[in-house]
Amino acid sequence: MSSFFKKMKGGSQSPPGVGFSEIAWSWVGAFLGITPVALLQYNFFSDGDLVFLIGSFGASAVLIYGAVRSPLAQPRNLVGGHVISAVIGVAAWQVLGSAPWLAAAFAVATAIAAMHATKTLHPPGGATALIAVIGSEKIHSLGFLYVLFPVLTGVVIMLTVALFVNNIAGSRKYPEFWW
Amino acid sequence: MKFSALNECRQTISDEDIVVAMKKIPGYLDITPSDFMEIYRVAYDHALHRLKHAITAEQIMTRQVITVPETTPLAEVVRLLADHDISGMPVIRPDRTIAGVISEKDFLSKMGGGKSPSFMHVILQCIAHTGCIAADVRDLTAADIMSSPAVNIPGTTPLFEVAEIMDRHNINRVPVIDAAGLLAGIVARSDLIQTMC
Repeated sequence: MSSFFKKMKGGSQSPPGVGFSEIAWSWVGAFLGITPVALLQYNFFSDGDLVFLIGSFGASAVLIYGAVRSPLAQPRNLVGGHVISAVIGVAAWQVLGSAPWLAAAFAVATAIAAMHATKTLHPPGGATALIAVIGSEKIHSLGFLYVLFPVLTGVVIMLTVALFVNNIAGSRKYPEFWW
Repeated sequence: MKFSALNECRQTISDEDIVVAMKKIPGYLDITPSDFMEIYRVAYDHALHRLKHAITAEQIMTRQVITVPETTPLAEVVRLLADHDISGMPVIRPDRTIAGVISEKDFLSKMGGGKSPSFMHVILQCIAHTGCIAADVRDLTAADIMSSPAVNIPGTTPLFEVAEIMDRHNINRVPVIDAAGLLAGIVARSDLIQTMC
C-alpha cells in the first residue's frame, strides 16, 4: 500500500523547456496547418451540410507542429489514429446512441485500445471518436462519411503542411518514420 | 580484466547529463529524463551482454602454439621460453592432449619462491642462503615442475569468461582445446588486452 502512494510522489525530473525558434516554428506550423481546414469550413462550404473543422485537429496540431519528434506525431499515428478512432466513434453512436453516456465512454476506450493494438496511438484520436458521439446533428447525419469528411480530409491537409513547414525549419525533420 | 568495473560505468551517467543532452538536442523530446535513464540502463545491459558474448576464445587465440613434450629437460624449456620471449607454454603428450603448463611461476616456485612465487622471493632466498638453487633445476624435466592438471577452455568460451578464469586461477595464459580435447591454441593475457582496448 505504501508503494502505491509512493508512486504518486513522482520523484523524476521534469524535462527542459524549448528555445525560442522551436516555439516560433510551432506557432507558424499550427497557424499554416489549421488555416486551410478552417477556410474550408468557414469560407468555401459554410452554407452546406459539410463539416471540415473538428476540435481534435487542434490537439493534432500540438503534436505534429509542436512535438515533431514524438512517436505520437508520426504520419502512421496521425492518419491511422484518426481514421480508426473515427470509425469506432461512428459505430459506437450508431449502435449505442440510445445511451449516449455508454456510447461516449465505449467510443473513447475502444479507440485507445484499437490505436494501441495497431501501433497508431495518437491522443487526438480519442477526441475524434468522442466527437462522433457528442457532435452536432450535422455530424451524426454524416454516418460513416465522417471518416472521410471531416476526418481524413483535414488530416491529409494538416499532414501535408507538416511535411513542408517542419522540413523548412533547419532544426527540424519530419517525419521520423512513415509507417 | 574486471568486468564489474564496466557494470559500474553506466551508473556514472546522471540525471543532469541527460537533461543537458536533452537541452542540446533541438526540438521537443517527448520523454522524461527518467524514461531515458530506463532505456539507457536496459540498452547498456544488452550491449554489455552482446559484447561479452560476441568474441570467443578461438577468435583471438594463437594457433601456432610453442609446446614441449613432458620429457624435455628444463634447460631446453628455458631456452625455448627465452628464444620466443614468452613466459609459459603447454606441456603436451604425444597425442597432443595437454599434460600441464610450464611457466616462469613453476620455475620460481621450484627455486624457492614458495606458494606464491615471485622473482623477488627468489632473490630473497638467494641473499638469505648465500647462493642460489638453480642447480637443482638442471637434472629435471618439464613434467617434474609443470602445473598439472592445466586449466583449459573450449574455443567457444566468450572472452569475459576467459578473463574471469584467468583471474580466478591467477594464471597468465590458458590453453584452448578442440572437441576431441586436443590442444588447438592458447590465449594469453596480452591477447585479451589487445582485444579489449
